[in-house]
Amino acid sequence: MTAVLGGRSEGVSTLHFAMDDADGIDTRQRLVVIGNGMAGARVVEELLERGGGEQFAITVFGEEPHGNYNRIMLSHVLAGEEHEDDIVLNSHDWYADNGVQLRAGVRVERVDTHAKVVHAVDGTATSYDQLVIATGSRSFIPPMSGLYRDDEQLIPGVYGFRTIDDTRAMLEAAAEHEKAVVVGGGLLGLEAARALQGHGLQVEVVHAGTHLMNQQLDPDGGAILKQSVESLGIVVHLATRTTEVIGPDRVRGVVLADGRAIDADMLVIAAGIRPVTEVALLSGIEVERGVVVDDQLRTDDPDVYAVGECAQHRGEVYGLVAPVWEQARVLADLLTGTDPDAEYHGSRTATKLKVAGVDVATMGVNRPERDTDEFLVISEPRRGVHLSVVVRDDKLIGATLLGDTRKVAFLTQAFDRGTPLPQERIKLLVDLSDGAEEVGVAELPGDSQVCNCNGVSKQTIVDTVKDGATSLGACMDKTRAGKGCGSCKSLVKQIVEWAADGAVTEDESANWYVPGIPLAKPELMAAIREQGLLSVSAVFAALAPGGVEEAKSKMGLTSLLRMIWGSDFVQENDAKFINDRVHGNIQRDGTFSVVPQIKGGVTTPAQLRTIADVAEKYEVPMVKITGGQRIDLLGVRKEDLPAMWDDLGMPSGYAYGKSFRTVKTCVGSDFCRFGLGDSTQLGIDLETRFQGIESPAKMKLAVVGCPRNCAEAYVKDVGVVAVGNGKWEVYVGGAAGATIRKGDLLATVDSPEAVIELSGRFMQYYRENANWLERTYDFVPRVGLEKIKQVLLEDSEGIVAELDENMQQSIDAYTDPWGQDAKAPATPGQFRTALPLVDLPNVPVR
Amino acid sequence: MTAGDRPPTLVPADFPTNRGGLCSKGWSAPELLDHPERLTRPLVRADPADRSSPLVESTWEVALDRVIAAIRRTQAEHGADAVGCFGGGGLTNEQAYQFGKFARVALRTSAIDYNGRFCMSSAAGAAIRAFGLDRGMPFPLSDIAAADVVVLVGSNPADTMPPAMQHFDAGRERGAEHIVIDPRRTNTAKNATLHVQPLPATDLALANGLLHIALAEGLVDEDYVAARTTGFADVRAGVAGYWPDRVERLTGVPVEQQRRIVFALARGQRSIILTARGAEQHRSGTDTAQAWINLALALGLPGREGSGWATVTGQGNGQGGREHGQKADQLPGYRKITDPAARAHVAAVWGIDPDDLPGPGKSAFELLDALGTDGGVRTLLVMASNVAVSAPDSRRVLSRLRDLDFLAVSDFFLSETAELADVVLPSAMWAEEEGTMTNLEGRVIRRRKALDPPVGVRDDLQLLAELAGRLGVGEKFSADPQTVFAELGRASAGGAADYSGITYPRLDAEQGLFWPVPSADHPGTPRLFTDRFATPDGRARFWRVEHVPAHEQPDAEHPYVLTTGRVLAQYQSGTQTRRSRSLQLMAPTPRAELHPDLARTLGITQDDVVELSTRRGRARFHAQVTDAIRPDVVFAPFHWGGGSSANALTDPALDPTSRMPAFKVCAVAVRRVGGPEERIPPPESATQPRPEAHQRPQAPAPHPPSRRRTTGVKSTPRFLNGVYPIIGEGLGKPGPLDPALRYQVPQGKTAQALYFRGGNSTGELVYLLLLRDGVPMRWFPIGAKADCHVPLRVVEDLDGGTVVELHAAAPVGVTGEVVVDLGLVEV
Repeated sequence: MTAVLGGRSEGVSTLHFAMDDADGIDTRQRLVVIGNGMAGARVVEELLERGGGEQFAITVFGEEPHGNYNRIMLSHVLAGEEHEDDIVLNSHDWYADNGVQLRAGVRVERVDTHAKVVHAVDGTATSYDQLVIATGSRSFIPPMSGLYRDDEQLIPGVYGFRTIDDTRAMLEAAAEHEKAVVVGGGLLGLEAARALQGHGLQVEVVHAGTHLMNQQLDPDGGAILKQSVESLGIVVHLATRTTEVIGPDRVRGVVLADGRAIDADMLVIAAGIRPVTEVALLSGIEVERGVVVDDQLRTDDPDVYAVGECAQHRGEVYGLVAPVWEQARVLADLLTGTDPDAEYHGSRTATKLKVAGVDVATMGVNRPERDTDEFLVISEPRRGVHLSVVVRDDKLIGATLLGDTRKVAFLTQAFDRGTPLPQERIKLLVDLSDGAEEVGVAELPGDSQVCNCNGVSKQTIVDTVKDGATSLGACMDKTRAGKGCGSCKSLVKQIVEWAADGAVTEDESANWYVPGIPLAKPELMAAIREQGLLSVSAVFAALAPGGVEEAKSKMGLTSLLRMIWGSDFVQENDAKFINDRVHGNIQRDGTFSVVPQIKGGVTTPAQLRTIADVAEKYEVPMVKITGGQRIDLLGVRKEDLPAMWDDLGMPSGYAYGKSFRTVKTCVGSDFCRFGLGDSTQLGIDLETRFQGIESPAKMKLAVVGCPRNCAEAYVKDVGVVAVGNGKWEVYVGGAAGATIRKGDLLATVDSPEAVIELSGRFMQYYRENANWLERTYDFVPRVGLEKIKQVLLEDSEGIVAELDENMQQSIDAYTDPWGQDAKAPATPGQFRTALPLVDLPNVPVR
Repeated sequence: MTAGDRPPTLVPADFPTNRGGLCSKGWSAPELLDHPERLTRPLVRADPADRSSPLVESTWEVALDRVIAAIRRTQAEHGADAVGCFGGGGLTNEQAYQFGKFARVALRTSAIDYNGRFCMSSAAGAAIRAFGLDRGMPFPLSDIAAADVVVLVGSNPADTMPPAMQHFDAGRERGAEHIVIDPRRTNTAKNATLHVQPLPATDLALANGLLHIALAEGLVDEDYVAARTTGFADVRAGVAGYWPDRVERLTGVPVEQQRRIVFALARGQRSIILTARGAEQHRSGTDTAQAWINLALALGLPGREGSGWATVTGQGNGQGGREHGQKADQLPGYRKITDPAARAHVAAVWGIDPDDLPGPGKSAFELLDALGTDGGVRTLLVMASNVAVSAPDSRRVLSRLRDLDFLAVSDFFLSETAELADVVLPSAMWAEEEGTMTNLEGRVIRRRKALDPPVGVRDDLQLLAELAGRLGVGEKFSADPQTVFAELGRASAGGAADYSGITYPRLDAEQGLFWPVPSADHPGTPRLFTDRFATPDGRARFWRVEHVPAHEQPDAEHPYVLTTGRVLAQYQSGTQTRRSRSLQLMAPTPRAELHPDLARTLGITQDDVVELSTRRGRARFHAQVTDAIRPDVVFAPFHWGGGSSANALTDPALDPTSRMPAFKVCAVAVRRVGGPEERIPPPESATQPRPEAHQRPQAPAPHPPSRRRTTGVKSTPRFLNGVYPIIGEGLGKPGPLDPALRYQVPQGKTAQALYFRGGNSTGELVYLLLLRDGVPMRWFPIGAKADCHVPLRVVEDLDGGTVVELHAAAPVGVTGEVVVDLGLVEV
């Protein structure tokens, strides 16, 4: 919390060797900058760029203790997309290296413009020749009761969103809280809402305007944005204010003007910003909305300038970075004499952001203002897309892009630079440069390159189709089109369809369970059952074209046969992954890991002692607690495996293989103050029942005792959550690996037994219908949650009993592989060193 | 090239650089050897005192007499530096070396520079800053073919260097990803995997933006950065200000494309970034090249085999030309002229006192801009360069050339520059002279003499030796290329570009040699930086660079952006290629490229004559309407002079490091002149703006404050005080007590109130009221028979003219006295 962003390791203060106050030694003018934000620091940068370091002795006052950081990236920091170190623009070192005195953490109180002295809160008086006020702005806190404590501090749980300290405080609070209310439905408010939602909070946005982002969007655009935001699960309240904060010790909720109350333990205020003008006011400098400046950014005092969000130029107060930096450039030109006549004439404002997951870009006006203005709108509410441009005298004067910002690069440049526009205005909104996709494939010239990665032209694809490759897959295989980055795939598909003239053949292999056998999974299973095929080789002999064995298909078939036949399955070792052959997880150096079964992650001192003894005996290089709450003995030689298993006397923990893996649990109700159900016991029961079950891909489970989700049940293949009153929610299809997906709620059931039954049913359904290596997070969306619910809960296909039976058969067939193979190897070479073992990993002492 | 009789014939040799390939310019080059316009005798003015008199054929004797007389006269009147030399990247290494030595030893002038300043200087500056060494390509050209990813920034080899395309094509056939960054969809861009079209002069912002993405996405090679570089922390903070959306707005390159470029570069096993003139010919050209180097360093490319950053050198001997002393600030072997050790070494080779070596001179454009002025050059020798066409703001340069006292030009045609000369000396062409060149890869190669020059034509080496002899130092100058090369080797020994181990026989035997070759048994250095960079600590330098907008921004008068460049069938100022019949058929007239949207707005159609005008000049072109260019950008080729001179338009704003002019961007207006015509009529001279007068460079003076800050405040105390009777008229009715309690701040002064003290003798509450300009400001209540002391904290100044008064009030009927003391200071 207290780390200084962009700070020096020694602390806040900046070393400063400049020749100081003694006049006559340092003949440079003294330039003081009040404010070390995006504007103040930028002025200094631009000055130095122009050799200003030789002309001016520069002192910068900053209220925050940090170096200069990129304020507009704060929402990315809040969202966890950027690290705070990466938003530092100028560190304390930078100031020191450039001979600029930075007085960070020192607030300026007032300026004596007659004596030309700046008085700071630390009692110092700093004299200047030229002064730049760049105090920026602060969050506007709308009036509401209960917001302040008696000492005029905001009550705990209320946050502005302006500084890195605000952001850090919110990040910290987000980790502890569950419900947040964001006041303000503008850019900042929506960014904050989305970021907090990303931290798992339930977020509601209260916006006083009648539509979201009313500064930038018209009501239609605002309505579409609202729809997109709400589809993300953020609740939006429009046209109402927050009148009261429910406290009193900390935020417990808010009351809206219409009387509704919302529970919340965080309140984020992003209701706009106000220029910070106190210094100027107290110093007798003219202030209206902001500090009033002329075209040379001069205030009514000739030696005092103002730039940035605190400045008011031609009636306009800018709150965006681009105008602020333009001002800084003009001021630096002026002060250094690089261009003594430099003037600032105002800026064209444009913004582009991802607001709550929705791309939004706006510039200039959002509606036509004159009868002669051209106005073009494309509105697709269903797709969340709303695009419009306003053209005046053949120049772009405004554009709004919501939900689709592909054209923004051209439009901002046209807006900034008055670029000539295409005669067909529609081209402003649909893609111009990438014409290939817009042109119908029929009109596409034959020599135009379709696949840039592999240099395939349209004609080549057409010829290939004519030569008989009438399916997309076949055509792609032959031409290699679409096999590079894949971005042209849809175009290739269109061309194939066009060339085949309706005679496109389906890629049947896409539906095959494994590539070597031309059958989809249900038909394959039926054939195996019918013909009683007990081994992989038997399946190939009976069903593969020409009886050819195909290596890539073997593992999938092994898994399937094991599921169908249970203990009757005839094992053939070459049809398994090495992991399955030796019941351990192979490591990068050819050694294996041994993970004994510790059901539910619950162990005993005796077990631990045994594990410790075994680890020492076999000189296991690394002992590690796994992400799945198990103990992993890493770096075991293949030939040591059976002896170790024997010494351990514990069953396999299945940390390998395409199978049921583990059930993670939280502490449950025995010890935890929050526990609503005995998750630990249920986890153990689940693991006991389903241990070692083969499946198309691994299945990771978890059970948690309350929605705090300590064991991450929401992101498991099957996750179980106790919700109180003896009820349990069962989630399926979650993932938190390379893919992250929150599981879908399958059902809420009344007892642990019902959980076990439903989980088993789901897993069996998955085992019977998923393609080889298809995880549940792909399987569930593919089949569709509704369908799964119908089959499993309403028995719409009448197969529930069969599912239960098949699962029971697999369970009955379970034998502990360690117990089985440790006694006598299944094959003579099972535990022989097969790979040349490199030196065992030297595990650093941690 | 066949040796022997004319006409010559051309048979390509298989060579690793071009793999036997030649472009149309190469194939047509022999045509020029016997071109009817070829100069074969020296030309002099019919009247030596009148440069408007015709040029007439003369003898070498007369011509050289005039040159020597001019040199002597100028140096006697204006000092040694008033005679200047201007060279070219087309000279052989021997000639370039000899020219630099001639300037410093025979003329003892600091005024020498060459047209490479307009070409390679930005890339060279950046490379030296980052790597400690400038060899355009630190790896063989053939590495391009093996690279998985090549990013070309402002480079169009398909048109400018077609034989090199074989290496690119080979790479693409292998499936390599080529990304072209160019405001125009050039022939190179058309075949690329991805083409992005940034606004001219925004390549720096783009590179910084890509590095920003690389940092955010964790693509930076942290191990490499830690082990092989310094200065990354500063650059990391610098690029934090280049977030993708900002870069998109500055450059016009969509965020998606930015991300694609970075990911491609980071994922390639072998990735190469090439910059060329499009990125470098800007007033921030050095920093732009540096920005791309920063990106390359962050991704760990330079010094990794098959990867790296390189610049594509433009002229035939652009690399060698910048290594051996033609540059104003350099001595042979890429030595700095300001380095005492370098001066001592070279002076020893040349047999002179190091103190007699001149110091650094002005850069090319600065030298040209000061011609004929006080302190500038008054007699100029130009060799292998057509500055009247190739320099920026060429109308200004033309006017400066006319201001010269004497101009001598050595060329093989009567170029636009030669037309202005007092003496024109015919020189040998490429096939008629011996020597060496250093190509874009840093490979030193032989140029063999295939034929004798026409009778009466001398090569430049002979010319320089002859001139030196007439200036009295003939013993130090040889006309034999091999002798000069051996001396060059000694002069470069120990320098950055060390040629000391190279001999003609080795070059013949080994297909050229990559420098440095520090000894006779050294194999040459095809790949640089594999172990260490050429910096003192062996690490490459990151250098924080910032985007600077183009010097000239479009405005209402000049609303579009002009960029200039080459076309396939022409070379440089066109002195040679415009005379080639076969090339003339390919690109007969200069064509300015305009986007259809721009053309439609201006009522221009294909082949119309259009006039481009900038603040410096006007020039006319045929219109080429093409959607290959951005709608806000106009392209003009720079190979023509006269009424179609693109450089009459260009902006000579110079890069602070390299002194490179901003050829590639300025603000331009476009106007339709008329329909298609075979010969483009030149712009009316009355409409041409006057060339800008020469200005001595001055450091900008900081803006003076309107008022100096006052260090010691000299203040005069003022008091409104005394004892005054008070008669109560009600607390609601304050009134003046006494005229003495009124004070007006004098004009020109300011005052500040410091305290109030008061006493009340009555038995009731009274108060004193302080008014400013009649407006009540402060109330000072004083209780019954009590006193008060209120220190007034100074929050504001009372300006000159302000009136301060004290009034008082008491309950009705109360009478008594009050004691008043208001303290002020007058400043």
